[in-house]
Amino acid sequence: MSAELQNKAIQAVEMLENAGADDAWATVSQSRDVEFEYRDGALEKVKDTTSQGLSVQIYVDGRYSSHATTDLNPERLQGFFAEAVAITRALEPDEFREITPPYLFAERPTTHLDLVDQAVFQIDRDQRLQWCEILDASARDNDRVISATGGVYDGSQTSAAASSNGFRGTQESTYCWYGSSVTLRDYGDRRAEDGFYAGGAHVSTLPAASSVGHEALQRALSRLGAEQGPTVKATMVVDARAAGSLIGRLLQPANARNVQQEQSFWTGLIGEQAFSDKLTIIDDPLIPQGLASRHYDAEGISARRLPIVENGVVRNLYVDTYNGRKAGMDPTTGSPSNRVIGTGDYSLEALLAEVGSGVYVTSWLGGNADSTTGDFSLGVRGHMIENGKLGRSVGEMNVTGNLRDLFSRLELVGNDVYPYSSTLAPSLVFTGVDFSGV
Amino acid sequence: MRIKRREFLGHMAAGSAVVTMPTFLSGCGVQTATAVSEATPENPFMSWFGVDQATTARVMSELTANGADAADLYFQHTRTNSLALEDGIVSSAKSYIEQGVGLRVVVGEQTGYAFTEDLTLPSMLAAARTSSAIASGARVTPPQSFDPAGAGEMYVTTVPWADVGIDQKLPILKFVDEKTRALDPSIQKVAVYWADADERVMIATLGGKLVTDHRPMTRLTVVVTAKKNGELQTGYSNIAAREDFDWYTEERLLAMVQEAVDRTMIQFEARRPPAGEMPVILASGPSGILLHEAIGHGMEADFNRKGTSIYSDMIGKEVAEPFITIVDQADIPNERGALNYDDEGNPAGRTVLVKDGILQSYLHDEISAKQYGLQPTGSGRRESYKYAPMPRMSCTFMEDGPHTREEIIEAVDHGIICETYTNGQVQIGAGDYTFYVKNGWLVEGGKVTAPIKDVNIIGNGPESLKRITMVANDARLDTGGWTCGKNGQSVPVSQGIPTVLVSSMTVGGENVS
Repeated sequence: MSAELQNKAIQAVEMLENAGADDAWATVSQSRDVEFEYRDGALEKVKDTTSQGLSVQIYVDGRYSSHATTDLNPERLQGFFAEAVAITRALEPDEFREITPPYLFAERPTTHLDLVDQAVFQIDRDQRLQWCEILDASARDNDRVISATGGVYDGSQTSAAASSNGFRGTQESTYCWYGSSVTLRDYGDRRAEDGFYAGGAHVSTLPAASSVGHEALQRALSRLGAEQGPTVKATMVVDARAAGSLIGRLLQPANARNVQQEQSFWTGLIGEQAFSDKLTIIDDPLIPQGLASRHYDAEGISARRLPIVENGVVRNLYVDTYNGRKAGMDPTTGSPSNRVIGTGDYSLEALLAEVGSGVYVTSWLGGNADSTTGDFSLGVRGHMIENGKLGRSVGEMNVTGNLRDLFSRLELVGNDVYPYSSTLAPSLVFTGVDFSGV
Repeated sequence: MRIKRREFLGHMAAGSAVVTMPTFLSGCGVQTATAVSEATPENPFMSWFGVDQATTARVMSELTANGADAADLYFQHTRTNSLALEDGIVSSAKSYIEQGVGLRVVVGEQTGYAFTEDLTLPSMLAAARTSSAIASGARVTPPQSFDPAGAGEMYVTTVPWADVGIDQKLPILKFVDEKTRALDPSIQKVAVYWADADERVMIATLGGKLVTDHRPMTRLTVVVTAKKNGELQTGYSNIAAREDFDWYTEERLLAMVQEAVDRTMIQFEARRPPAGEMPVILASGPSGILLHEAIGHGMEADFNRKGTSIYSDMIGKEVAEPFITIVDQADIPNERGALNYDDEGNPAGRTVLVKDGILQSYLHDEISAKQYGLQPTGSGRRESYKYAPMPRMSCTFMEDGPHTREEIIEAVDHGIICETYTNGQVQIGAGDYTFYVKNGWLVEGGKVTAPIKDVNIIGNGPESLKRITMVANDARLDTGGWTCGKNGQSVPVSQGIPTVLVSSMTVGGENVS
């Protein structure tokens, strides 16, 4: 299938050139996805789809535009491309718009990423149903359960890209995820809820469905009896699963576009000790079986390990070709891959013992951060930490501060990396954090 | 609610849009989605999708071959165009064509779903077989023909977006850029983002209905970064509606520009409020986000039929003061959340969630309505042909109450007013919800004092409803471009509210000792 898609991409580039494009980049993708949803002892939904798409970037007379369609009918594509070129001509010229130069896609790595598991293609209805039944039984194994919804999601994706200046590439990956969400009867009209999902490129690396369902139930049970936490300045322990999204917020403006648009608190920080020396973030696209592994990015730039922060010192930002040229920065990659966060020696238990008292955050609820200033305020839920151990369940609290300041007060780092995310983060401990609650 | 609909109706009717682009520049209107089928097209939508009554019936027959209580084909073609102005030039355009048909079969509470982007008969039949695999019963008799429902009137446009060329849109972005820069010398950066979309849907149901809807949408955003004494601040404003090009009057654009600059400049003076519980005044309009998160999602019937919502056992109960009425309404002309029909082909209308303080009705799609033995409320929506529908909100608002904004402010000794928001979220089961306040004010001794910014507010839905102690008479819908993202499916929504007082909420902020 890769070869067929590659041909379609090459044809698209040729058609665009014939339509008047000076340069063109085309990506064709195809995916197969199957989803089984199972609720309270019965199959509720089966979704089985095959999807296709084409996206192109075109350069005409120093002008640029991008287009995408799910309609791959060759005759209509001709009209679509003619129109795309005409649209581009109607825009203003921009000296910084240029197709990815070949030196950036030369020397593509050959690391075996192991992103395709043939076993995923063999998953059948019976297998999915069996997983659903096991998930359901283990997730509902408690008298307080009102409802549990489990699901299996598996599939594959193939994409091929080609450009007028010689880029050719194909990437293929499989995935298989399953898990459950559990709702429990709590006090009053309240329901306690949480869930757990595990997945990856390979079926054989998945934990047993029974342990995934059990984990979902345990996480929901730990939410029972949650009350509003206090207004307090305290130490915050962010668990490994929740740490990924906090790192995501930190990194959101760590790119050339935000810097060029003067909307980034990362501006001017390269080479600076901007954060605690406990913080290390490496963007690593070459991890075998990694959830965001790749040989090249959306612009065709060859993948390489990219340190973003090492021991608190900023090393690199995410730089795409266009904003890089505009901001006078060398391109790295415009889009994150696997983000590997430096780990420490502490297990979660040891971290809690070390901290003594504070708030253990297990998940976020809403909130936002200002990219320009780094000011943030997030809803949290979790547990109080008392005498070095997890105490009562709390929620309906906010944590408020500034991201740069928060990550300069990263005090301890765990060794308990959460594996089911492209941000591979351990538990993180911050001191002097503002909580608002009762 | 007295809906203050479109104060610029006069401008809208002017019909001054002129198609000035050569036809090949004018969007997809010149091209049908598929080659016209050989059979005689029976209505313009069938013709657009290249199908006819017979092929539709044939696909429906395949879809229901193993039995069905309900089934539908959801044909969709959406063309989205966007433009970006950064650093003074419009040097980036995007277009996106999404075309496909979603095939759904429902048996009891079970749903089979498939879609295809290839609208040829063999491909549609294959998808129908895939979808029908959920069922294992006897073939049902599909309708031999589909009866077209009348076109809706919620967003009739003079000129479709497909016929509006870039040469018409570009000056608007330039105008916004220029006017924004002129407002304050400390402005460093201005970015303007334009989007318009033409969406055609055609829904054929097992019951023999044929519903068609042509849904326009447009959104304009301006982002401003300013610098004072080495400090940078960013603010923005946007407007969105199911409108056409003439909606962008100079007056409307200037109001948006002023709002974006005001929101940016005030941040240089704004501080974080003290952390903790306090009375919170929600200013009229965008504060409707409270309703969306604190009650709207909890009233979507899919959560309630599973018993997973905190509102699952509350219908008929008193949930708020008697002067509080909360509505979800799709038939409000040209609003972003407006719809003629929902995505199951049911007329989209008005559902009263709370009347005079009493919880009235959930928002139903066909599956939940059947389970509750009720009529659907026209709330079945989906992001696109790639998804099965589920109960969703449209335009959610609170009607006017007995107080005034001034009375509400005077009643607060120490609290805040929230004015603009970026996002919110809710936990359906526990009822805890949050929204993020971008701009607001401190209220001290019954007076508005200093500006505040960047705080998350958290509360519990049913508790917050009970704590709404005052409601003013200044209800309005927000024209901001809100998008709701339930279960990974994005749909456009609107929200609105009069100024209200919530006697206690938890405000993120700094701990003052």
